[in-house]
This record gives sequence, C-alpha cells and structure tokens, in this order.
Amino acid sequence: MGVRVQVGVGVDSALALELDSHFNSLSDSNSDLLSRTHPSDLHSLSHCHSDCSILVVVSSLRRAGSALARSPQAGLALVILAASIGLSIAAGSHIDPVSGASVNNFLNAHTLIQMATDASGFAIMGVGATIVIISGGIDLSAGAVYALAGVVMAMVLRAVGPLDPFMTVALGLGTCIFVSLACGVANGVMVVGLQVHPFIITLGTMWMLRGVAFVASHAESILVPSALTHVAKATLGLGATLSPVPLVAMLAVTLAGSIYLTRTVMGRHVFAVGGNPEASRFAGLPVQRIRLGVFVLSSLTAGAAAFLGASFYGSATSSDANGYELYVIASAVVGGASLTGGKGSAVSATLGALLIVLIRQAIRTLHLDQNYEWIIIGGAMIIAVVLDQGGTKLVARRVAAAAGRRPSLPSEQNPAPESR
Amino acid sequence: MAPAVRFTGVTKRYPGVVALRGVTFEIAAGSCHAVCGENGAGKSTLGKLLAGIDTPDSGTIELDGRAVRFADPGEALAAGIAMVHQELASCSNLSVAENLCLGSIPSRWTFVDFAAMRERAANLLADIGAEIDTGRAMSSLSVAEQQLVQIASAVGSGAQVIVFDEPTSSLSEGEAARLYGLIPQLTARGTTLLYVSHRMPEIFRLSDHLTVLRDGEHVATRATCSLDEGELVQLMIGRRLEQYFAAHADADADAAPGAEVLTVRDLTCPGKFEDVSFSLRAGEVLGLAGLVGAGRSEIAKAVFGLEPNVSGEIRVHGSIARIRSARDAMKLGIGLVPEDRKLQGLVLSMSAVENVTLPLLESVSAKSLIRKRDERAVAQKYFDRLRVKIANVDAPASGLSGGNQQKLVLARWLAAGSRILILDEPTRGVDVGAKAELHAWIDQLAAEGHAILLISSELPELLHLSTRIIVLRAGRMVGSVGREAATPEILLRMMAGLAAA
Repeated sequence: MGVRVQVGVGVDSALALELDSHFNSLSDSNSDLLSRTHPSDLHSLSHCHSDCSILVVVSSLRRAGSALARSPQAGLALVILAASIGLSIAAGSHIDPVSGASVNNFLNAHTLIQMATDASGFAIMGVGATIVIISGGIDLSAGAVYALAGVVMAMVLRAVGPLDPFMTVALGLGTCIFVSLACGVANGVMVVGLQVHPFIITLGTMWMLRGVAFVASHAESILVPSALTHVAKATLGLGATLSPVPLVAMLAVTLAGSIYLTRTVMGRHVFAVGGNPEASRFAGLPVQRIRLGVFVLSSLTAGAAAFLGASFYGSATSSDANGYELYVIASAVVGGASLTGGKGSAVSATLGALLIVLIRQAIRTLHLDQNYEWIIIGGAMIIAVVLDQGGTKLVARRVAAAAGRRPSLPSEQNPAPESR
Repeated sequence: MAPAVRFTGVTKRYPGVVALRGVTFEIAAGSCHAVCGENGAGKSTLGKLLAGIDTPDSGTIELDGRAVRFADPGEALAAGIAMVHQELASCSNLSVAENLCLGSIPSRWTFVDFAAMRERAANLLADIGAEIDTGRAMSSLSVAEQQLVQIASAVGSGAQVIVFDEPTSSLSEGEAARLYGLIPQLTARGTTLLYVSHRMPEIFRLSDHLTVLRDGEHVATRATCSLDEGELVQLMIGRRLEQYFAAHADADADAAPGAEVLTVRDLTCPGKFEDVSFSLRAGEVLGLAGLVGAGRSEIAKAVFGLEPNVSGEIRVHGSIARIRSARDAMKLGIGLVPEDRKLQGLVLSMSAVENVTLPLLESVSAKSLIRKRDERAVAQKYFDRLRVKIANVDAPASGLSGGNQQKLVLARWLAAGSRILILDEPTRGVDVGAKAELHAWIDQLAAEGHAILLISSELPELLHLSTRIIVLRAGRMVGSVGREAATPEILLRMMAGLAAA
C-alpha cells in the first residue's frame, strides 16, 4: 500500500507546483503531506491498514481537485476537456485496417500525440512569451530566433561532418542555445539600452534575424543528421508509430516555466516589474536587469523549440516558424496573460497553445473547409479572451464577497476597495 | 444683483477623506476672490467643483442666481466657467494656434483653414497682450507662456468666471509679475476670478475679497483690506492645534537622542534642490516642511538613491556612503515610504504578503527558490507587529484601505531591518483613525531607536511628531526649528518666505 500512497502524493505535489501562488496555503499543506510520507516514513506507513492509506490518497486527491477547480487554469482546462469530449463524440470512428478494431477518429493515441507535437512548439515558446508579457513587454522575434537557431545548427552540423550520436546531439543543442542566447541578449540590451518600446525593437530584430537566416542558408532546406531525428522521434516504449518526445519536452518546459514564475525570486521580480515598474524601483529591484533577462528567456525557449522542431522534422530552413510569433502571443493571451503586464501563467500558456491546436484539429477531424481555419482561430481567440476577462471579474467579485462575509477583527475591516 | 457665484453647503468626499464640508460663501461679479488655506484644506477641490472637473456630493453651486450642475468641464465651459490649471493641461504635440482653437478648429470643406486659425489665435493672444508666435509647438513654450495661452483660451471662450489654481506655483518671479499685471485687466472688463493660492504676497496684491478654508470647512470670507498677513495666517491654521497635541508635547522630551546615523552635507541636485545639509540621530524624528515643489520628496529620493546627478556627501553611521540605487540604500539600512503609495509604494496586482517581501526575497529563499512558508511567516510577523488586519493576505493589495496599504510599505522596510526610515507624506489620503494609528507608530518606532525623516504637508502632523523641523523653500533650506520653538505660524511664514512677525 505504501507504493500507492507514494503515487498519490506524487500526483499531488506535481499539481501543487502548477498551482498559482494564490493558493500557497494549500500547496503548503500538500508539501506537509509530502514531508510526512517521505520514503523513510513509508516503512511505517506500509504497516498502516489499507483503508487508512486509501483515505490519505482520496483526501489528498480531493484537496488537489478542489484546488484545481479554484485555480485560474480551471476554466481553460474545462473548455479544452469539454471540447475534446464533444469532438470525440462528433468525430465518428473508422476500422483499423490492421487490427480490425473500431477506432475513434479523434480519441486515439496517434491523433492525440500528433496534436501534442503540433502544440509543443507554440507551447514551449508560449511559456517564454508569457514571461515577457508578464514583465510588461512583448517579443515578436521568437519565430525568427527559431528559424535562425535551426538554420545555424543545421549548417554547423553539416560543416563539422559525421560525429558520434551523443556529440551530434550535444553540439546541435549547444548551437541552438548559443544562437538563441545571443539573440535574446541583443533584444534585451537594445530594449533596455536604447529605451525603445520592445514592440519596435523585436519587430526590427524579427526581420533582421530571419534575413540573416535567409542569407546564411541561401534559402535552402538543410538536412540535419539522423542522430537528432532518432532522439526527437524516440518512442520511449510506446508503439512504433508514436513519438512522445515533443509532448514530454512541452510538459518539461511548462513545469520549469511554472516553477520559475511562481517559486523563484527572479520570477517574482518579473511579476513586480510588470505590475508596477516604479514601485519595483522604489523597492530596490534591478528593474533593467529583469527587463533584459525576460528577453533572454524568451529567446531560449525559441532556441529549444527550434532544436526540437528541426530534429523532429529532419531539416531546417529560413522560413521555419513563419508567423509563429503571433500564435505564441495568442497562446499566452488565451491563457489569460495581460498585455499590460503583471499577470499570466506558464501552465495557462500551454493550455492556450493546446486550445489553438485543438481548434485546428477539430476543423480537420470534422472535415470542415480548411480555408476557414484562420477565421475560426481568430474569432475563437477573441471569444476566449473576452470570456477570461468576464471570469476574472466574477472571481474577483466572489473573493470580495467572501472576504466581506468572513468574521474579521472589529477595528479595521477592509473597507470598499479604493481602486477599480 | 445676484452674486456671480454662490456656494451653498457644498460637500465633497474622496475615498477616506472629506475634502469639503458644507462650504457656503459667495463671490461678487467682477471681483478677484482669493481662496486660501493650508495644503489639503480643500482649496483646489473647490476650484475643480466650479469648473466641472468634479461634482459635489451635496450642496449647490449657483451662477448668476441659477443653480448649475456640470457633468464635465465642457458643460462648465459652455456656461462660461474656465479654469487655468496648476498642472498645465494642453496638447503639447500641437501648435499654439491649434491649442487655442481646439474646440472649434476653423475649416473650409472639412479641410483645416490654417490662415483663419492663425488669425483667430493671434487675436486671442493680442487680447491679453501676449506676444507668442501662433505657429510654435506648444511643447517649445516655457511654462509661463503655456499659462498665457491657457488664459487667452479661457478669456477667448467668453468665460465670465475664470478659476486660477495656484497659477504661480511653477513660475519665476518675473513671469509671475506679468500674470499679476493681467489680473486687474481681467477684472476691469467684468470677469470674475476665483484665485486659489496660499502665497501671502499675491493674495494681498491681487484679491479684493478672500475666503479661508481649513480642513475642508469654511472659516471666513472677508474683504482683503480688512486683514493683515498675521490675521490671515491665524485664520488659516486655527487654534485647535495646541489642544490636540498637548498630551504628546513632552512625552519624550527627556529621552536623550542617540548616535548620529545619517549625515547629509551640501546635497545638490541641479534644478531640484541645493546645498541641503542636516543630520539625523537614532530615536529622532526630523521633520521636513515646505510647500509643494520645495524639493522635499526629491531630497528623500536622493538619499534613497533614486535621483541621478546628485552631488554632495551622505554619511551613514559616520562613514561615507555611496548610494547609487535603492538597493544600495537598502543595504545601508535605509527604507523609504514614498509619497504616492499606489504609484511608487505598492505593486497593486500582487498580494499583501508579496508586497512586504518584495525587496527581501533572497532572505526567504534557498537556491533562489522561494520558501513560501518562510515568506508568509516574515510578512505575518510584521502584520502582527503593526496590527495590520487583512481578511485575505493573498488577495491583491489593490483592495486594501489606504491605512493598510501604507502599513504594508512600512512593514516592508521594518522586515528589511531598516534603521533609517524616510516617510514621505505617510498619512496622505488615509482616514482619521488610521492616521492616529500611524502617528502612534512613528512615535513608537522612534522610541525603539529608529531614525526617522518625516516629510509632511500637514503642519499639525509635523509639529506633533518631529523633534526638529527643517524648512525648505524653492529647493533651499531656509531654517531649522526645534520642537519647543516651532509654531504653525513660524513655519508657515518661513515656508511662504515672509519675515518673522
């Protein structure tokens, strides 16, 4: 039974990490649980009666469930879930020619993994874009950084010739990280040093970087060594036609981004600078360094996505990820990030990317006219953001009402909010 | 004949403060009527109500015997009331001519008729005797010239009543003299002027009648010639101060001041303040008095490392301090509770806890991961200490009362271990109860050995809390007064630049 407890707690703590900072108390109690069931305690726990450990699992899951329901991601997650269920029902099924079994046209491992693969690029870069947007900035150059990093990696690997697989992967990843790091530093230094709005700086670098990729590659499509493709298409023990590496990378970047934003000092500083740069200055924060740092992070996510994308598809060209910057920003804002800064979440950005990809998938699965794809995505994005705004106001009103009901100390209960 | 303007029982509340309470008086047509009082007495509010920028909560405003109620400045303008603002309000990106004709730009077949526009603008300026090229960009004009354009626009709009809100606060002597010449011209042609000011010389020079406000209440309306400066100061500050603070006066008179912790010598920031020197001891509350714009907040920011181009010497605990950023100041144990808590003090989208720990996250984190339990514990410790009562410490700080917001900023610096606290208008916009509580805290912190630099526009507050008060005028120190010797009258005279009585 001890093992089962560990599984339950594992799920629980992972969820706790995803939760927004608003629910600290809750995740704190989760980590209580985690510390209580530290491996050294498992021995004693295993002596516990089976219903006792089931109780622990159930109660911790219920707590995590109610926290999830109250978390800011709940609405978006529900929409995605409902849309997926609806799509599964509407999709119909076909007979698998090999096994002869009936397979749902949407709800099958192949389609789902394919969707995750499509979403992974947007989601990984969406986490970076979210960080920039929370700081009050915007990064339009992410797609161009992707293209440049992919092209340079392919050219470097072509130039050095055959290496052993490990060295190929290491050199490829290193090149992508180096190129994107340089692009990010350039963006950040210009935004901070020239004091020009990041929209303009990154609009400029978007064209420049893509131009560099174009000139350097002579607009050719450059193949990357198969060692990279083997890694990116590894099956990780799933069926031979399934390659979950992009899915895993997406989840890893989302988790890392979420921890960065909700748990680290730097992440907290990003929220502060986006929420009120002047107050951040008065609190002694290194505002300029924070503003520079977010562009580096955003470019790094583009570099990571480029490594994954070029490896997965086996080649890189200067026209890769064309227009991705807007999909990426759309993912962030559908996930509730506010363009005025101070608000956003990495988990939400990934959910936003999933929703966009889900809409595209729905058009294909339901055999709708693909020419309408852009119209539908554009409309859906506006609706999602409007709904999110309405939901935020509703939650704020409920929180205010709850605070009013709570018995509080006599002399100074919060009077009517001064702002808003 | 009905008075040009009559206020009857006018009351205006802002969140946490009553700006005007049942104010009743009238202004005769063609007079220059001064409205005076201390900072925060409600003078500017009165002007704003008349010019339609704000609407009264209760009471009526009559114009030529008819009750009026303006929803916006446009309606007031249509009724013949214009305002010359303290902070100049014009479209700085447009030309002088365009600004002057903004409401009704002359056009021919939807195309702007530039010749007609320039001619009309030139006529308006000539009307008040101003010589400004109508083609210049508004942003290229000096403050005084911009003000002239505003006045020309007000007169040209046919306004019968013009509200001047502290019009000379940003003018040099020479520029102000020009304005003084213009006022009699305006009244001579029958325009009624409401002149908001707390500067004695110009009140006596320009106005024929005056109204004194104190804490939002009407104190007196008199003919200006029936008063002298001393009597006016007496009316402005009232008598109740001594009673209010009697209990406190010698509470800590016997406490010996501690070691010198902050020494400032010849601190200069070009255009903001010059040659400011003072020293601050542990356990002392040093007050900084001065009118708005005297350079008080700028000195606070300079000591906290937020003003560039500062020269002079700052010593902390006797050794020379190099303070280039707020972080440097923080490391030396200096904390600043800034003037505008919403703009400079707090990140309103973040929670109460997060606002307290913002500058000291490193101390509650391990390997740059924040330990939320420690963070919460630190914040809670200072919430308990300062008796901050918040229903939900994780809700955004934007929903908190002014008093609680101010306590958050104070809690932040106490949590950071600051021993030198600079408090810039700590009680502005907080209600009376919270104000008394903050006063008690300032006393308490000083008694615990904190060194406090207190900036306040409220003389009662300064007199109540400070052991010594430094008076600034136009960026220069004009004197220093000990607690025993300080009276509102002396301070007000020094602030306004009058000889001692």
